[in-house]
Amino acid sequence: MNNMSLLNSSLSQTMDYAAPILFAALGGVISENAGVVNIALEGIMRFAAFFGVWGAFVSGTPWIGLLWGIVIGIVIGSLHAYITVKWAGDQIVSGVAINVMSMGIITYLLELIFKTTGYSPPVPYFGSSVNRIHLVFLKDIPFLGAFSNLTILVWFAIILTVVMHFVLYRTVLGLRIRSVGENPHAAETLGINVAGIKWFAVIMGSIFAAFGGMALSLGTLSSFTNAMANGKGFIGLAAMIFGKWTPFGAMAASLLFASAQVIQLLLQVAASGFAKGIPLGFYLALPYILTIGALIGVVGRAVAPAADGVPYKKES
Amino acid sequence: MKIILKRLFSRRKEEYWWMTIAVPLVSILFALITGVIFIKITGRNPIRAYELLFGSSGLFPGPYWKNHFAEMLLSSSMFISTGLAFAIAAKAGLFSIGAEGQFIVGGIVAAYFGYAKPFAGLPAILHLIIVFIMAMTAGGIWGAIAGWLKAKKGIHEVITTIMLNWIALYLIEDWLVTGPMKANVATGVSGTPYISATAKLPKILPGTRLNISFIIIAAAVFFTWYFLYRTTIGFEIRAMGHTLVFGMEAPKASGVNIDRRIIQTMFISGAAASLGGSFIILGILFQYPPVFEGGYGFDGIAVALIGQNEPIGILLAGILIGALRTGATAVQLAHIPKTFPSIIEGLIVAFIALQELVRYLIIKLVVPKRSESG
Repeated sequence: MNNMSLLNSSLSQTMDYAAPILFAALGGVISENAGVVNIALEGIMRFAAFFGVWGAFVSGTPWIGLLWGIVIGIVIGSLHAYITVKWAGDQIVSGVAINVMSMGIITYLLELIFKTTGYSPPVPYFGSSVNRIHLVFLKDIPFLGAFSNLTILVWFAIILTVVMHFVLYRTVLGLRIRSVGENPHAAETLGINVAGIKWFAVIMGSIFAAFGGMALSLGTLSSFTNAMANGKGFIGLAAMIFGKWTPFGAMAASLLFASAQVIQLLLQVAASGFAKGIPLGFYLALPYILTIGALIGVVGRAVAPAADGVPYKKES
Repeated sequence: MKIILKRLFSRRKEEYWWMTIAVPLVSILFALITGVIFIKITGRNPIRAYELLFGSSGLFPGPYWKNHFAEMLLSSSMFISTGLAFAIAAKAGLFSIGAEGQFIVGGIVAAYFGYAKPFAGLPAILHLIIVFIMAMTAGGIWGAIAGWLKAKKGIHEVITTIMLNWIALYLIEDWLVTGPMKANVATGVSGTPYISATAKLPKILPGTRLNISFIIIAAAVFFTWYFLYRTTIGFEIRAMGHTLVFGMEAPKASGVNIDRRIIQTMFISGAAASLGGSFIILGILFQYPPVFEGGYGFDGIAVALIGQNEPIGILLAGILIGALRTGATAVQLAHIPKTFPSIIEGLIVAFIALQELVRYLIIKLVVPKRSESG
């Protein structure tokens, strides 16, 4: 493999790694900008990873799987919103509940539907070469070549980041979302439907996290495994904080983390001489160490939206 | 994100004194009822499932009760340890997800000092004390790293504890256990060597696996309560929790060294989690296995939340979760996967989150009758 195609394939691999994390982080960004903390990202990814595969299994097409995943995202998002917005319940507690339930319910359904423990049979997925987006004319250009063979989910993650930035900072809806997250009482006074905005943001965030789960089970793999999402939702949560609750920040953080993963893999392959003696564990731990290192070096204190996590109760 | 924990720390002034007890109990009841509906929908027999689950949970007398009871307390000591770890950090306003990593750090260190030569010849009681001190120090340091990064570098503890969990996992499973600490191939053991007999936790109920881990964790629960409510540092830690929540500068103004307290809190939290890791190595597995079945750290968060972040509540919640896990194997006889108890666990936490609704229902159902009769 020559250097250029190695560069391009590493970059596209980075984007493959980054997409699930980015989706989860974006889900967190929209929800927390409206003042609702969502640590259920991990659980939602798990639910959607499974339901996406189930839908694709039943119908034979990943598109129906995508639809099922979105539906389960809406269902779980509504549950989180019902608990935290309707009943002003504690957002952390609700998120933990969803994460714990995802473990039990999905394993239960896996045994019930596929009669297996731990994994589902392979299903049609977006990563197969038929379903990938081929942009042949980019193939031999450095850097841009990385975009020549991505899955539709990776493209969607990129587009979603841009759209979300635009919506949050350039539209009335975005202004309302952010004002609800900063000062719900003032927003209420201005006639904004605070509860409505929160419901909207939580459900949208949950749908994005659901895409993250499907980017794993229908994007990179073609089946559900019990280890999914394997902490990716929590890494997404970290990427959201790292990115200071902004869409592009979240994207940068996800890419940083994913590139550390790819560098780790390249190092493992390229290791020669003294590096050969370095145990596998150090390579695997490297991305996480680099993330902490980057935080020490680059980013200062992160500031959450002012009313983030505060259950909102209408006055009077 | 700090402000979130407000409702966890600030004790609600109760209109009815029994509400603090009634809310978790009713939540558990609702969770069990929802569980029935779930089993019913999936076409299994809920009554049989619950009979099996509780019959072998260790909570109620029945066949093989002694064994189930022992297993229940054994597994609950692990959940209580990680529950305490979460709650101690939460009291200081820190949201630590790091119990998972601190748990295995404690476990690997306990395994090492359990088999390593110079220690393996010591008298049992001395050996055990050394093993626990080392494991708790290591787990504590693993927690304190996150505390230091928070206090000195301002990095959010959610990020650092998540990262530290993974770093611990990879360094242990893909370096220590397969490298420097690997058992001699000739012995046919995978994972680390087995610990010496002097490092095994003494058994306290003949004929079962029950060992002193439950006594140790019960003492840790008392210590945590004493520390939080009867010492100056504990008071300052709780005040910090409120500070972060309400944005007051009071503790800082009155001379509390906040940075130092954050690091200390995370050290104690990590030490608490490492207790559980030591229990599982010294009392159940007797070595660090090649692949560790984790999850105690995350279940600890649920335990702490069900126990309302209070030491005594965590003790009871830990026993409940331990009981559900003990009964889990039996529900498979009703063709229900053994992860079913985590659905119940999740539902209990969900109803705890819905406590406004639960309170509303309790008051609606109970209170009018009272006022009529009295």
